[in-house]
Order: sequence, then structure tokens, then C-alpha cells
Amino acid sequence: MPEISRVRTVSIITILIAMLVCAFFLALSLGPTTVPFAAFIPDDPLGMLGSLFSGGDIARFFSDQTSYLIVYSIRLPRVIAAILVGAGLAAAGTAMQGLFRNSMADPYIIGTSAGGAFGAAFTIVFMGGLFLPVFAFFGAIGSTFLVYAIATHRGRASVETLLLTGIAISMFFSSILSFLMYSAGKSLHQIVFWLMGGFWNVSWNDVWLGLLIPIGGILLIALARDLNILSLGEEDALHLGVNVEQFKRILLFVSSALTAVAVSIAGAIGFIGLITPHVMRLIVGPDHRILFPTSMLAGGLFLLIADTLTRSFLGEMPVGVITSFVGAPFFIMLLRRRMRA
Amino acid sequence: MIDVDDLCAGYGGKDIIGEITFAAGRGEFIGIIGPNGSGKTTLLKAISRVLEISGGVVTLEERALADFGQKELARVVSVVPQDTAMNFSYTVADIVMMGRFPHKERFAKDDPDDYRIVREAMEVTNVVHLKDRPVTDISGGERQRVIIARALAQQPKVILLDEATAHLDISHQVEILSIIRDLGETVTKIGVFHDLNLAAEFCDRIVLMSEGRIRAIGTPAEVLTMDRLRDEYGITAMVQANPVTGRPLVTPLSEGVPPALCGARIHIISGGGTGAGLMYTLSAAGCLLTAGVLSPMDSDYAAASRLGIPCITVPAFAPITPAVCDALGAYLDGADVIILTAMPVGEGNLPNIRVITSTRRSRLVLYVPPGEEFTDCTPAGDRSFLAAIRAAGCPVVSSRSALYKEVEKMVHTRKKA
Repeated sequence: MPEISRVRTVSIITILIAMLVCAFFLALSLGPTTVPFAAFIPDDPLGMLGSLFSGGDIARFFSDQTSYLIVYSIRLPRVIAAILVGAGLAAAGTAMQGLFRNSMADPYIIGTSAGGAFGAAFTIVFMGGLFLPVFAFFGAIGSTFLVYAIATHRGRASVETLLLTGIAISMFFSSILSFLMYSAGKSLHQIVFWLMGGFWNVSWNDVWLGLLIPIGGILLIALARDLNILSLGEEDALHLGVNVEQFKRILLFVSSALTAVAVSIAGAIGFIGLITPHVMRLIVGPDHRILFPTSMLAGGLFLLIADTLTRSFLGEMPVGVITSFVGAPFFIMLLRRRMRA
Repeated sequence: MIDVDDLCAGYGGKDIIGEITFAAGRGEFIGIIGPNGSGKTTLLKAISRVLEISGGVVTLEERALADFGQKELARVVSVVPQDTAMNFSYTVADIVMMGRFPHKERFAKDDPDDYRIVREAMEVTNVVHLKDRPVTDISGGERQRVIIARALAQQPKVILLDEATAHLDISHQVEILSIIRDLGETVTKIGVFHDLNLAAEFCDRIVLMSEGRIRAIGTPAEVLTMDRLRDEYGITAMVQANPVTGRPLVTPLSEGVPPALCGARIHIISGGGTGAGLMYTLSAAGCLLTAGVLSPMDSDYAAASRLGIPCITVPAFAPITPAVCDALGAYLDGADVIILTAMPVGEGNLPNIRVITSTRRSRLVLYVPPGEEFTDCTPAGDRSFLAAIRAAGCPVVSSRSALYKEVEKMVHTRKKA
């Protein structure tokens, strides 16, 4: 990498991290009740840390118990979850766009969201929403496996077949979803809310699950050089020494797992996984070694801002409404620009 | 170096190519030619392992290519495809650096050696000035040079070219093939060619394929003969030596010669260059020609000797002796058809004209192209021989197609008789 572009990359990453940190503290402070930054700080920080690691109660280190509850029990897990989900969807979107060699691909392209929605609706209708994240997770990852199994012939899965199979399986699950919604009765609004995507019920448990996302992200960064080569085309990748079929399997598995985790935490939030990689590619270029980390930072930032907006000013409107509302016109703008180019 | 032994391969369990056996030596440039659907690209894909082989073995320095890991293979064999689609705007330097991928461990950084090798590869293919440009913004010829630079950055022992210059204009074709030829002894090159003349010009040896089998292997001059071009490509083509390089130069002839003429014995009486064109076409079409009487100064004689046509000669301006007349008679007796072309007639070749009186007109055709005529250069200058020609009453044709039709008719009747 030439020196100039290295400096540029480092500055972009630094700026993104700085923005994320600012947004993080703002998000903790903002909301129906504004909490001053001073209230974040415990009276005895060192004592609190000691207590945290020994598993003791940390509430007693804060003088303002209401602020403590709002910030640490309600907002902090939600803020972290928003960042993780945004990062996960952006990473998965980046991987899918590279794999399909198409900057219009998104993480849901191989049936992940439809499968997750089916899983979620299933437990809402038949089990009163018990184990919803688990059902959503396995619905999402199950549909990806189904797509891959159907698209594979003699150990090879061409990207075109994967794409078409993904569409078919998505349509199939959507039809079952429609049937479930039709027969859902009173729980219909719960399904609809889940489909729009949001962070109302996020708890620390979701955050622990969400920690799989950075792990997946690191795995994808490790695969970035291979993905660079695969994005030139499968035959070229083969000639350059990439074990294409095995690599595609790993990439599909990691990115669908990332998506499934994101979906099980926050529902099927649209456009993050499509827009973020696309925009970041315009800024940092197509090299996935840089594109993955920057997209993850930007995705986390974007979703955190969107969620904070809805939580603070828009009366808890589902965050998926905002991302799509902002994302769709933005996407059209990019499309028009591409047509002109 | 690289040995292909009894290779079979195909798609969906059906073999497209079979019994493929050849070897390429170190540094050699081998061209694979053949008509569409002959299996050239399939062969290349089988060697590069894109296609699984169903029989036989390809070995590189005594080791089967099938035993190489994917990355290991990419360190010894690189491929330049016909065209590479570019969806993302990597810079030229990024793309060439990807050629270093097979040499790198997963977390290894690009080191100074890599930069040096990439730089050298870009220098060889003359793309250094493009290194920071996005590959999506450069021309097809430049992009193909970038892809070759990437293939060189792999530092392979064998480079495979799948019609690597097919989409480029002639100047870029020559430029790129020169780059590849001049890679020297370290890299063996195997390339699929559509353009026979480029193959003849750049390759050390040529493999001619047809219907999934090898039909001929050898130097360009050994493989590119009129007979093979007719048999495998179904074309009438003139093969000459390129006056600059001495390599064969193939010129496909657009005029069709009836296939029935293949094998017909034809004697051509001509002079002053009036028969040379006919000799090339008919000989490319597979006719068994004889010619004469000609003088060695005559351009028709040059054509005949280049084509290996048996020819009766007498020195220029020398009269034709009775012995020569006997030899001519023997040739004429052996021919199915005799073609007499409009030519300058002098003392020396008057006997040539006399054949008209001695040959039955059912075997003689007069070929008088528009604008040509029998000019009289005899001392008498009274064009008396013209009367003899007219009196013979044999068919007179003025176009090639009419000539072929007439010849075909005669061959047909003679075969029946």
C-alpha cells in the first residue's frame, strides 16, 4: 500500500472511532430523560471496578440511583447492542457484496431475514414468543443452509444459483410468514413490530450474544485478502490459489451467522448492510482488508445514531423505519449516480 | 518440463477431449490451434485444473499437477484469461499485487520483495505509469497487460493463455505476444490461438486440435500446411513463407473451389504470371497439379516450385526441343483436365499452344480473364495461332467460378468414362 493511502486509511479509521466514542456518550446521555455526563461517573471508580470483577453489586457506587438505572441497566446494553448489530450487518453486507461481486447485494440476499422472520413469527404465534431470539437465530441460519444445500451441485455452488435460490427461499418463507400473520390474531402486532426491527427489549443477555459479532468480524478481516481475489471472479481466484468452494462455504457461514445474531437481537433491520459497505467502498476503496473494519465502525455508528434518534425524539418508533426511510432515498441517489457514470 | 499424457476431460461426465499427449520444454512457447469446438479451451482448463480431468495425467517436472494444493499450484502455473471482468475499482498496483497471494501466508504483510516483484512485472508489461489508476478506468489493452503483470507476479514456471489477445487490436496483440514470447527460458508458455498467423509468428511449436483430438504437433511450418487447413478447418488457404521471418503465412482464400476438385489431376499451361493465382488456389483445394512448359525466369515457375508442383522447364528464350515436347505429352496424358491461360505467346512457347490441336477438346479449357488476351510475340506477329485456338472449339471462360465449373464437369465425365 502506498504511503499516502495508508495515512488516509489510518485517519479515516481514527475519525470513525472518535465519532463512535462521541456518539456512544451522547446516546447514553440522551433520551426521554437527559442524564448529565457527570452522573456516569461513579463516586469511587477503582472500588467499582474491583466490585465489578468480583461480581458484586455496583449500584451502591453511584449517588444518583435513578440516573444509574437509566444509564447502566437500560441505555448501556441498548447502545452496545445497536453498535454490535450495526457492525454485524455491515460486515455481512460487505462479505455478500464481495462474494456476489455486486455492490447491490445485502446480508439478507440468501434468505437470512425471511428465515429469521419465520422463526420469530413461529414462536410468537405458537409459543407466546418464548425463546424468540433463539428461534430467529436458527430460522435465519437454517434458511442459509437450505439455500446453500439446494444451490450446490457436485460440490460446487455458483453465485448465480445461490442468488436465485436465495430469492426463491425468501419468497417461500415470506409466504409462510404471511400465513402466520394472517392466523396470528392478537399477536399480529408483535410480529409486525419485530419485522420492523428495533431495540426495545434489549437486555444484557442480548449483548453477551452480540459479542459473537466482533469475533465474526475479526474472522472476516482474516479472510479479507482471499475475498479481494474472489471479487475478481471465481476462475481468476482459482488461478491465484484460492480454494474457491471451501472459501465460499466459510464466508457464507460466517456472514450468515453474523446476520442471524443481528436479526435475533433486533429483528430484520433494513438497509444498514446494503448502504454502509457501498458508501465506505466509495470512501476507502474496494480493498476488503480496510473495507471490513471501516464498514463495521460506520455500520455501528449509523445504527447507534438512528436508534438514539428514535428513542429520544421519535417516541420509540421502530429503528428499522428510520434506517429504511433514510437508506432508501440514499440508495436511489447512489443508483442514479452510477447510471450517470 | 510439463508433460500431458493421454489426457481426457469434459463437462458433465461427457469427455470433450481425449488421447491428448504432448510435452512442452522449459521456456518453450506452444500454440494450441483448431476450429471452434475442437477442445482447445477445454484442454487449457484441464491443465489449469479448472476442469477435473477424467483420465490421463499432467505432470510438471515429474510431479502430477493433481497433487498440488491450490495455492501451491498457483505458485507454478498462472493463467491469463481472454477477458477479466472488473466489478470493483482496485488500482492497477492492487491487482498486480494479488499475483503475490499464492506466495503469502494468511497474515503475512506485503514485504519489499513483493513490491520489487510487482514493480518488475509492471515494468515488463509496461504498465508502471498506470499503477495508481483504477482498473475499471483503463482500456482493454492496458487491462490485459495488467493481468499479464499479475500472472508474472505469481512467478510461475508455466503460463497458460486462453486467447489472451482475442479482444485486442492488432498492435496490442503483437505487443502483448512479444512480451510473452520474450519472457525467456524461465517460463513455459502454452496459449490457445484463433489467429493462425499470430500462432505461427510467435510459437515455437503448434498443436493442431480438431474434434477433441490432436491432429498434428510440430513447428509452425510442419503443422500449417494447405492440406491440414483444408482438412481440419475446411478452408482453402494459401500458405507462403513470411518474407521477413520465414514462418508460414496463412491467407484464407475467399473464393470457393468445388470440393469435387480435390484430387483432380490438372495440368496448367501458362506463362508470364497468368497461372500463379490458379496454382495457389487449386493446390490449396487439393488438386494434383502439373505445369509447363515454363522458363525458370517466369513468375509462374516460382509459384510452381514454391508449391512443389512438378513442372517442365526450358531456359528462357530457348526453343522447346522434341524431348521436352515428349515430356509435356506425358504430363498431358496423365491429366484429367488441361487449363490454358491467356498469356504472351512467343517463339519459345508456340509448342505449348500446339497442344490445342493435339488434345481432345473435352479435356481442355481456355481461361481468359477480363482484360487479358493471348498476345502475339512471335516473329510473324500475325496472330495465326489464335485461329488455331478458335478452331479447337474448346470452352473459353473468363471467370474463376466458370473455370471451376467447367473443370468439375470435365473431371466428372472423365471419371464416368
